[in-house]
Amino acid sequence: MPFLDPVAIARLGSLPIRARVIVEGALSGLHRARLHGSSVEFAEHKEYSPGDEIRRIDWKAYGKLDRYYVKQYEQESQLTVYLVLDGSGSMEFAGGGLRKLDYAGTLLAAIAYLVIQQQDKVGLRVFGDRAVDVLVPPRGKTSHLHDLLAVIDQVMAGGGRGDEGPADALERVAELARKRRALIVLASDLFDPDDRTLTTLRQLRAQRHDVVCLQVLDPHERTLPYEGLTLFEALESDHRLLANPAAIRKEYLERMDAFIARCASECADGGVDYHLVSTEVPIEAALLDILTMRARQRVHGGGGDHAGAVPVDHAEDGP
Amino acid sequence: MSFLAPLMLVGALGLLVPLIIHLIGRRRAKVVRFAALDFLMASKRKTARRLQLRERLLFAVRALVCVAIPLALAKPVTSCRATGPSVERGPQAAVLVIDDSFGAGYQLDGTTLLARAVAAARHLLDQLGPEAEVAVVRASEAADNPGELTREHLRMRDTLGDLQPTARPADLNRALARAAQLLAGSSHARRTVYLLSPLAATALRAGEPPWGEGGPRLEVVDLRGGAALPNRAVVRATVEADPSTGSRGIAVTAEIAAYGGEPADDVAVSLRVADRVVATGTVDLRPGQRQVKRFLATLPPGKRAAAIAVELEADALPVDDRRWLHTAVRDEIRVLLVNGDPRTTRHDDELFYVEAALRPGDRADTGTAITTITADELAEAELDQFDVVVLANVAALPAERVEPLDRWVRNGGGLMVTLGNRATAEGYRDTMRPLLPQELADPIDATWGAAPDERAGRVLRLTKWEADHPIFAPFSQDAPGLRDASFHRVFLLGPTTDTADRKVLARYTNGAAALVEAARGDGRLLLFTSTIDRDWNDLAIHTGYLPVVQQAVRHLARKQQRRHADDLLVGRGVALPTLDLARLEVRAPDGKGTVFEGERIAGRAFVRFLGADRPGVYRVLAADDSGATAERDELAFAVNLDPRGSDLTPAPPEALPASGTGEGRGEGANTRRVELWHAVAAGLLLLLLLESLLALR
Repeated sequence: MPFLDPVAIARLGSLPIRARVIVEGALSGLHRARLHGSSVEFAEHKEYSPGDEIRRIDWKAYGKLDRYYVKQYEQESQLTVYLVLDGSGSMEFAGGGLRKLDYAGTLLAAIAYLVIQQQDKVGLRVFGDRAVDVLVPPRGKTSHLHDLLAVIDQVMAGGGRGDEGPADALERVAELARKRRALIVLASDLFDPDDRTLTTLRQLRAQRHDVVCLQVLDPHERTLPYEGLTLFEALESDHRLLANPAAIRKEYLERMDAFIARCASECADGGVDYHLVSTEVPIEAALLDILTMRARQRVHGGGGDHAGAVPVDHAEDGP
Repeated sequence: MSFLAPLMLVGALGLLVPLIIHLIGRRRAKVVRFAALDFLMASKRKTARRLQLRERLLFAVRALVCVAIPLALAKPVTSCRATGPSVERGPQAAVLVIDDSFGAGYQLDGTTLLARAVAAARHLLDQLGPEAEVAVVRASEAADNPGELTREHLRMRDTLGDLQPTARPADLNRALARAAQLLAGSSHARRTVYLLSPLAATALRAGEPPWGEGGPRLEVVDLRGGAALPNRAVVRATVEADPSTGSRGIAVTAEIAAYGGEPADDVAVSLRVADRVVATGTVDLRPGQRQVKRFLATLPPGKRAAAIAVELEADALPVDDRRWLHTAVRDEIRVLLVNGDPRTTRHDDELFYVEAALRPGDRADTGTAITTITADELAEAELDQFDVVVLANVAALPAERVEPLDRWVRNGGGLMVTLGNRATAEGYRDTMRPLLPQELADPIDATWGAAPDERAGRVLRLTKWEADHPIFAPFSQDAPGLRDASFHRVFLLGPTTDTADRKVLARYTNGAAALVEAARGDGRLLLFTSTIDRDWNDLAIHTGYLPVVQQAVRHLARKQQRRHADDLLVGRGVALPTLDLARLEVRAPDGKGTVFEGERIAGRAFVRFLGADRPGVYRVLAADDSGATAERDELAFAVNLDPRGSDLTPAPPEALPASGTGEGRGEGANTRRVELWHAVAAGLLLLLLLESLLALR
C-alpha cells in the first residue's frame, strides 16, 4: 500500500488538510473505519439480585426460563477521546527526517480528524513546558476540530520545550474524565525524567479508561549512527557530552532496547495499548496500524480490556 | 638545577601542542542535539572512567614527552653536597691506598669492607678520568706494591677486581709513605692520596708521619661509614702436653677478646682437634676485656700429633674467630731410672717395684720408656734424651755429676729423688742440695725398740696429701690404697724458709714430710723421704703405689714440650731446625709446598721459612740421607693472624696524617655537579614506550 513520506506530508498545506489526507489515505483500504472506544452492545445476562434495577429485568428471558435475569450492557455513549501530546524539548529531535513533535502532532491531528468524523468528542492536552498549560476540552463539533488542530499547529510551530513528563498531564486528563470512561491517546517518546509515565498509564487503565500509548522515536535514537568525535547536547537540559559514538554505541543500543522492551512489557501488563512508532514510518501507515490493531482486539474480544502491544514499525503491516 | 643549553628550553613550548590538539579536537567535534542523552550518559559513565583515565594519561604522557625532549637537549645539571672525597677530573697524579688487611673482610650490611673499597675505588677511577696517572697501593702489612703510576686504568680495574683480604693487619703508615713516594716522582702539580680504609686505630702508628710539609693532598673514604665495627676474636692460644690426663693428653688455653659492641654472655667456644670438635664451652665477654678459656683434651687414639683450633661462634669478621695450634706429644715419657742399690735377686732390687709400676705387664702401650742405669753409669748418660730421671737410693753424687743434672732440671727436666740406706744426710747436704727441694735431716725408725707385736701400731702412715695435686688426683678422699701403707723408716727434712716454690704434697702421721715438690728453673724436683721399694715401707704392695708412681712421672714430664710456645704470626719468618736432614718440605694449609734442599739446607742448623702467608697448620715432610721421606710432626707449626688487626676501634681524627695541601683531610662535604640529562633521556624513552602502549589500547 503506497503511503506518503512523512516529510512529504509535512509539506502539505495546513494541518487540517494533512490530517484529512492521512485519514483518507489510511482508511482507503479499510472496509470499516472507526476508532472504537467502549462497546455499546449487549454484554450478558446476570441473575437478578436485590438492588438491581427492576427496569433492567429481561422479561423475555423470564418467559422462557421462569427466572429473573438482568440484561447487562456495555455503556453506550458518544466516545470521548483525549489526545495527550508530548511537547517537551526531547520531542524537538529530528535525526534526519521529521521532528518527533511534528510526527506526533500530525498523527494526533489525524486521530482527531477521525474522531470528529465519527461524531465523537475529542480533547487535547499538551505538556512539556510547565509554564504553559495547553488544554482543549473535548467537543464533537467540526468547528472544534479546527480549533484543536490550530492548537496542535501552534504547538508544533513553537517547537518542543520544557522537560515536563507525561505523568502530570495524564493525571490531569484523568481528573477531567473521571465521570466518563474515555479513550486516552498519548503520543510521546516516554523519555520521562521522573519515570512515572508507565505507572500513570497503568493507573488510567485501572480506572477503566481505554489507553493508547504511542511511543514516538526517531530512527537515529535507535541506531546512534554518528561517527567521529561528537558533542551531544541535551534538549531538555544544559547537559553536554563529548564522546566517540563508536565507543559507546553497543552499550547505548542495549540500554535503548531494554528501555523500549520495558515500556512495551509494562504497558502490556497494565492493559495499555502500546505502539512503538518510528518517525521514518509514513504517518498514515502508523495510523492504519493502530486502527487495525484495535479492530483486531475488538474482534478477538479484547474490547479495549486488553491491548496487544504490537509495535508499528513498517507500513506493510496493514490488514 | 641549571642548564648547559638553556635555549633548548624554548622547545618546552611544545607542551602546547597536545593541549592545542586537545582543544581543537573538542572544537571540531560534531554537535548533535540529542534527546536520549540520559541513555548516552549512562553508557558513557560505564566506560567513561576507563576512557577518561586513558585519555588523560595519554594527554599527560604526550605533554611530558613534549617537555622531556627540550629538557634533555637543554642538558640540566644540578649540584649536591657530596659526602665523599673531593675529586677533580683531568690530568693529575693519584694513589688509591686500599686497606686489604684481614679486617677488611668485615661484613657490614651484607658486603665486606674491601668490596666497598673496591667499589669506591672504581668510582674514583671514573671520576678521575683517563688522563689521571694512578696507582693502587695495598695497605696490608708487607704487601707488594707498584713501583710507578700508570694510565692503564683497565689493568688497574682488573687489579681491583682481584683484591682479596689478606691475612695480615693493616699498616697505613707504610702504605701512605709508599703512596707519597710514588707521587713524589710525578710531574703533575695535582697529587692526591685517596685512602680507602676503615681507619682502625691499630693500623696507624703515631709519630711516624708518612710525608712532610710538601706532601700530597689526602682524601679519606671511611669504609665503616660511621659504624662501630664490633668484633670478637681468639687473640692467643697455647697448647701443652698434659700427661696427667694420659700420654695423649693436652691442655689448651685460649684468650678471647671483645672489641666494642654489647656485652655478650654465653658466647660459644669450641676446641677442634684433628678436624673434630672435642670440647665446647662458653665465655661471657665484655667490651674491651679479654677472657681466658682452658680446655683439657686428648689427641685421637693412635695419634701423637694433631692440628688444633680454638673457635668462636662466627661474627662479622669470621677469619679471626679461629686460632690454630699444633702439638706433637712423644709416644712415651722417657724415664731414666738410676739404681743406687742394685741386687742380683730381682725382687730385692731397688727398682723392682718402680719398673713394674711404670711398665705394668711390660707392655709397649704404657706410655713410658724406661732406661735403667747404675749411679756409676750416670756420667755417660745423655740426659737430654730423657724427660724424667729417678735417683733411687743413690749415694750422694759428686758435684761434677750433680751439676749437669741441675742444668738439665733447670732446662725443663723432671727429677725424682727417693731415699734409702745409701743416702746419708751429710752426703746429700754436701753435694746434692741443688737436686733437693729441702735439705735432709737424719732418718728415723718409727718402730725402733718396739716389741714385734707393737711394731704395727708404731709404724707411720700417709695422711694429709694434696688431693688437688695431679699426683693424687686419681685418689678418693680416704684412699685406703695409700692410707693403709705403713712406713717404719723415713728421712726427716731440715728446716727451711724457702717456701716460694716448695710444696709438701703428703705427710706422715707424725707430721713429717713424705713427698715434697719444688720448681727449679723450667724443671721440677720431687723428693720422696722413704724408699721406692719395700726396704723401709710396704707402699709398693698397696694399690696406691702404681698410680702414685705413674702420676709422679707424668707430672714431672709436663714440661717436655715447649717449642713454639708463642704464636707464629702470618708473614713472619719461621726458623726450622734441619736436624741434619737432606730435604725439608713445608706444606702450607692450602697444600702449597716449599722445599729446602741442597745448598739451602746443607750445613745449616736452621732454615728460615718465609711463606707463612695464611693462618693454619703447616706440616713438614723431611727426607734423610737415605732418601726416605716422612712427615715430621715435631717440626709442624701453626701460624695465626696478628691479633692487632682484630681491633677495629676507629682511630681518632688527629691520628691521620695532615693533608699536604692543608686542605680538609677527612670526608668533607663539597659541592658536586650531577648531570641529569641521562636520566631525562631515559625517562623520555619510557614515556614514548608508555605512549605507544596507551595509544594501542
